[in-house]
Amino acid sequence: MPVKIPMEKWAGSVRTVTLGATAADGGTRQHTVTVGGETTLPFLHFEGEIPNRPVVATEIQDRRPDGWSELLMEAWGDRMNDPGDWAKAAEEAGADLIALTFGLTGLDGQPTSAESARLAVRKVLDATGLPVMVSGPGQAEVDNELLVAVAEEGAGERLVLGYCEDRNYRTIVAAALGHGHLVHARTAMDVNLAKQLNILINDMQLPLDRIIMDPTTGALGYGIEYGYSVMERLRLAALQGDSMTQLPMLVTVGEETWKAKESKVGQGVPETWGVWEERAINWEAVTASSLIQSGADIVVVRHPESVKRVHAVIDSMMTANDRGGS
Amino acid sequence: MSKYIATRALRGATGLVREADEMLTKAIAEKGPETPVVFPNTAYFLPTILGLTGREIETLGDLVPLLERAKSLLHPVPPASLWKPYLGETLDAGVATLLAAEAIEGVRFVNGVQPELFPGFEMGGATEYPHLEEGHLNGPIDDIQLRSWGIQLVDGRMPGFAAIVGCAKNNKVAVQIVRELQQRSILIFLAGNVNGRSIIHQLQEEGVEMGYDTYIVPFGTDTLSAIYAIGFATRAALTFGGMKGGQPRNIFLYNKFRVFAFVLALGEVDDLKYAAAAGAISYGFPVIADTVIPEILPTGVTRYEHVISMPFDEIEADDDLDRARKLVQKAIEVRGLKLQITEVPVPVPYGSAFEGEVVRKNDMRIEFGGKYSRAFEYLYMTEMDKVEDGKIEIVGAGFDDVPDKGAMDLGIVIRVAGRKMQMDFEPVLERQVHYFINGASGIQHIGQRDITWIRISKNAVEKGFDLNHFGEILIARFHADFGAIVDKIEVTIYTEPKLVEEWLATARKAYDYRNRRLADLTDEAVDDFYSCTLCQSFAPDHVCVVTPQRLGLCGAYNWLDCKASFQINPTGPNQPIPKGTCIDPVKGYWTGSTEFTRKASHGTVEDVTMYSIMENPMTACGCFECIVMLIPEANGVMVVSREDVSMTPAGMTFSTLAGMAGGGLQTPGVMGIGKYYLTSPKFISADGGFKRIVWMSSFLKESMAEEFKAVAEREGVPDLLDRIADETDCTEVDGLLEFLAEKEHPAMTMDVMF
Repeated sequence: MPVKIPMEKWAGSVRTVTLGATAADGGTRQHTVTVGGETTLPFLHFEGEIPNRPVVATEIQDRRPDGWSELLMEAWGDRMNDPGDWAKAAEEAGADLIALTFGLTGLDGQPTSAESARLAVRKVLDATGLPVMVSGPGQAEVDNELLVAVAEEGAGERLVLGYCEDRNYRTIVAAALGHGHLVHARTAMDVNLAKQLNILINDMQLPLDRIIMDPTTGALGYGIEYGYSVMERLRLAALQGDSMTQLPMLVTVGEETWKAKESKVGQGVPETWGVWEERAINWEAVTASSLIQSGADIVVVRHPESVKRVHAVIDSMMTANDRGGS
Repeated sequence: MSKYIATRALRGATGLVREADEMLTKAIAEKGPETPVVFPNTAYFLPTILGLTGREIETLGDLVPLLERAKSLLHPVPPASLWKPYLGETLDAGVATLLAAEAIEGVRFVNGVQPELFPGFEMGGATEYPHLEEGHLNGPIDDIQLRSWGIQLVDGRMPGFAAIVGCAKNNKVAVQIVRELQQRSILIFLAGNVNGRSIIHQLQEEGVEMGYDTYIVPFGTDTLSAIYAIGFATRAALTFGGMKGGQPRNIFLYNKFRVFAFVLALGEVDDLKYAAAAGAISYGFPVIADTVIPEILPTGVTRYEHVISMPFDEIEADDDLDRARKLVQKAIEVRGLKLQITEVPVPVPYGSAFEGEVVRKNDMRIEFGGKYSRAFEYLYMTEMDKVEDGKIEIVGAGFDDVPDKGAMDLGIVIRVAGRKMQMDFEPVLERQVHYFINGASGIQHIGQRDITWIRISKNAVEKGFDLNHFGEILIARFHADFGAIVDKIEVTIYTEPKLVEEWLATARKAYDYRNRRLADLTDEAVDDFYSCTLCQSFAPDHVCVVTPQRLGLCGAYNWLDCKASFQINPTGPNQPIPKGTCIDPVKGYWTGSTEFTRKASHGTVEDVTMYSIMENPMTACGCFECIVMLIPEANGVMVVSREDVSMTPAGMTFSTLAGMAGGGLQTPGVMGIGKYYLTSPKFISADGGFKRIVWMSSFLKESMAEEFKAVAEREGVPDLLDRIADETDCTEVDGLLEFLAEKEHPAMTMDVMF
């Protein structure tokens, strides 16, 4: 019996945001990445348009990180020793974007300086042709100091600068305004806070098509349902026509999942948990794939294998499902 | 608009445009029209000209049509016989002045006389001119510095800039003015002279270091070089405001609302200065002069007053330095600059973590209020010039002579002023005193108004905590948290018993007035209700509609709080809801509240009444102080308080009931409310009001006995409280019905509820 699939007529759509700039637009990226533009919920091709695929960013750091899982250290090996080299490796592993984050201190234990941040960004920009996102360690004063220098170093590249948070966004937005970048607006799993931050940033004259919002999430088993639900509601509000929620969404999946016990611990866990490496990668890939289903446009992951797996999911989901179903 | 100013500005502008024309003609004759015109290190050509006209000036020849444009902005000087508003003409003259001034500076660069040479002058950080070997002033600010300062201007670390034009009364005054501005992180631009002496000379003689590093930029010793300040402002709008050349209106508005700059005119004001001032006004930058000049007080083009005259020697103050301080303060006030104090300067740890701290008698050094002395706090608003921002005064003795664990009288009187301050916000702000003072470790604050009770611990006193620190705390916190409505604040602390007594009487009058005002504040009397969506993080579809007679269900936000909160945080969770048309005054339907709720609840709540529990009652998140629920058998409602853990006649405890009342679900017959709503004449008034209450938690009955007594009288049943059961009388319906019958509760004979 033929079943007619009910279809929703949405009033709104997600804004289209382009990351990175090629030589034609004053940057040096080989190509740009465009996200957003959806006129329906994720992958309902029969109902609306999904003009741009969700993309996978690979997180790298300005130096060989402390406290990252040894699985990740093995996967990237010596290439983690230099941010340029690491970015290159990430590009080779299939990343769509590079997400460079800074630690609070350098390898020598000294606080990360604006100069070293500048140097790291320069190396990454020189080593890869992919668009780049850059975030500070998440402490307001340090973030501001580093990001202002980064904004200047990467002028014209349409970087994504993070993190703008409700208590600290003005300096980063100002830096983005002054040097033609985008910002990464992060709020703690709350629809209204996300919306409010977008309003505040936009109120500083940064156009909405230069904001990516990060509603934050938990890992699988650690509050993913809360993050999922907030993202879903943000996307529903966007489609219903609320302009201040019509921004592409980003989630830092790697940062969350590699904190989970299931990813972190290889020994002394029940045998039924299976092979550690497989489990850890699955944790990241499953978290990322789930959040893509709730509307994530950019997922940031850490393991090279996760990039492949998430890409495979996106490939299959982007295969248009027919009108009316079969 | 002063005709005097108009006349002089027009004259100044006309003269300058002519001068520019002559200079340009001469330069073209000598060097040719193709000679390049450039300011150093900028991608914005001649920036003011680019911004205001869209012209990209690259050669002397390009300046010819530009000056034609400037000429077209010049209107005739008004004849003595003509009296009319001249604002438009004057502003045009101002713009013509800016264009001509920048054109002249462009030609001067060609002629090699910009930047201005100043032998022996050294700067810490400045625009670089590799071809110049001798000392020079800065000339225009380069793009790199523009971006660096622009970021600070945009993110608010740097509140604005002051363009100082002329020469101060003397060197000491010049230094004082600059220090006052520096203290507030205001960027300082210097230009101009009076009879050949410039503030630049004055500062140099006093050894004040100038340059980018110290945020003091000497542009030049003539008035014209002040154009570089306008060029800076124009580029700020182009760089950070996303504007393009040739969008003067947008550039003006950007500067008016986002670049907090002002002009400080020191010394005599000549025609050219008037003309330049008229140009500054278009950017929204007011002019404050330290000489006698006509004022332009009405607001409009600038945010507040346009031109203020503050004759230096007539400023009421102890000495010239104090006058300088007051001049700067006035300038800041006229521009509406907001200053931030980030740290609370007290010798004890400070933070919200200490709010709940208790100081026990044994650890106490001294107390104010309570059983053994009087204490009160009183905040009121007054005019801007009656408040000296940041001033703390102690009137009376300190507590050194009070014996250990002793008590003393205390009155904390807080005067605030602000452009957006309203009398209605006084109680809202006054209530903050409790939280602010409690934030200090070792200080305990209880109560408010004239039942204030404060204790200071021995430990805090040992660390140096003294009476003036109350003032420090209040000033810092009000500026930080309520800067949107409080521009200035001054604190006086009275310990002198006679004065405490006097001020207490004044305060009581105010408390009394506020009580009456609150009683007069009815839902009918206002145009807007307020929303509260603070709780949507966990109850995504719930929205509170807060009205004067129905406070938020958490009890924390009444209508005035919401109104103030909206002023402070215009994008926050409390938004005004225009009432719109009243559909049903009894049940409380308005088009505005219905529409807002429908939208903010994402379509979950279709309709909402303000005054009924039976028909489309307001939803709740989960923060309610009380739950009201229909008891059908009793033809009334019960009210259960959050504190009550016992069983209720509905067969459920508070925590079970909370599941039904919360989560943004609309359930007729169940409602979560703030306890003070019980005392409102609008409490379920559509369903019969307070007389419907047949059962109430004893906690409420006791803690609000006074208030309920008044309500019972208002309702015409003075002994109503005795006829309402509580958990000590009965916890099931049969017992309740017996109780009600015996007490002849009015609900038994009222209309059926549904």
